[in-house]
Amino acid sequence: MSAFDCWLREATRRLSKDSAATVRSEIRDHYESALEAARTGCRPASEAERVAIAALGDPAAANREYRRVLLTSFEAGALREGNAEARVFCSPYIKWPIRAIPVALVIAAVAIFFNGAWALASDLFAGGIAIGFLFVAPFFPVYTPARGRAFRVLKWIVVLATIALVFRAGDRNWIWLLPSCLWPMIWTEWTRMSIRRKLPVARWPKQLYL
Amino acid sequence: MNFKGTLPTLILEALAQQPNHGYRIAQQIKERSQGVLNFKEGTLYPALHRLENEGHVESHEDIENGRPRRYYRITRSGRKTLTKDRAEWLQLSQAVTTILGEA
Repeated sequence: MSAFDCWLREATRRLSKDSAATVRSEIRDHYESALEAARTGCRPASEAERVAIAALGDPAAANREYRRVLLTSFEAGALREGNAEARVFCSPYIKWPIRAIPVALVIAAVAIFFNGAWALASDLFAGGIAIGFLFVAPFFPVYTPARGRAFRVLKWIVVLATIALVFRAGDRNWIWLLPSCLWPMIWTEWTRMSIRRKLPVARWPKQLYL
Repeated sequence: MNFKGTLPTLILEALAQQPNHGYRIAQQIKERSQGVLNFKEGTLYPALHRLENEGHVESHEDIENGRPRRYYRITRSGRKTLTKDRAEWLQLSQAVTTILGEA
């Protein structure tokens, strides 16, 4: 493996396949242009290669910069999984059963309320409303960055209000469940935020608006 | 010389002259600074990608000498940013020159 190939391998570490292909193509073009310029200046080939690689700098530093602006393999995977989940979610066989869950929760809450178990009824009601809000989100007309921001603020208000309602003063024994429930949401939000910075708006799939 | 943070502005300035490809942009910055701004060329492309994501430059692929090559061009938003950055830089450099001139 040549010194240039080693440089490329280090610079494309942990980048997605597409990002790595972009980096390889642009850096190879740059490197060949540098070699051509060096040959015009009558430098020997080995010297020209050494100078061209030195001019590129530290591959680890370049890799750090690339990972800030191009999709990493993790982010590309998250995007693929999100797209697959959205397809399943919107498929005709799954769409209606999933929509029935929050409705069933709210109906159960009303039934339990009339049986006198008010605390359980309010928990189920809050859960039903929050889950319903999240489940119907893909069907909202959120397709601009401004609407996306407004939706995300609303989503977190609903989630936090539900948590406040469910874990009210008397139910603090279960508060240890909170981190495990919120962690996947926070992690997904963080990953999507990073992807939003890297992808032009024209290439955003629906999930990035939500 | 370390000029961290000013590379995007220098790229926009180079592209304001004419659309160009990465290698030529790097050489133009080095030549115009008479070799003082001798940055590592591997960090040029991440800066170009960032500018493209922000809508300050746009790119298209072209064939030159039988080789595919990506050309970059400054956008209207990029020109606005360049004007703002240039004004800020002049203000900052004047302030630093004033202070260092006093010493």
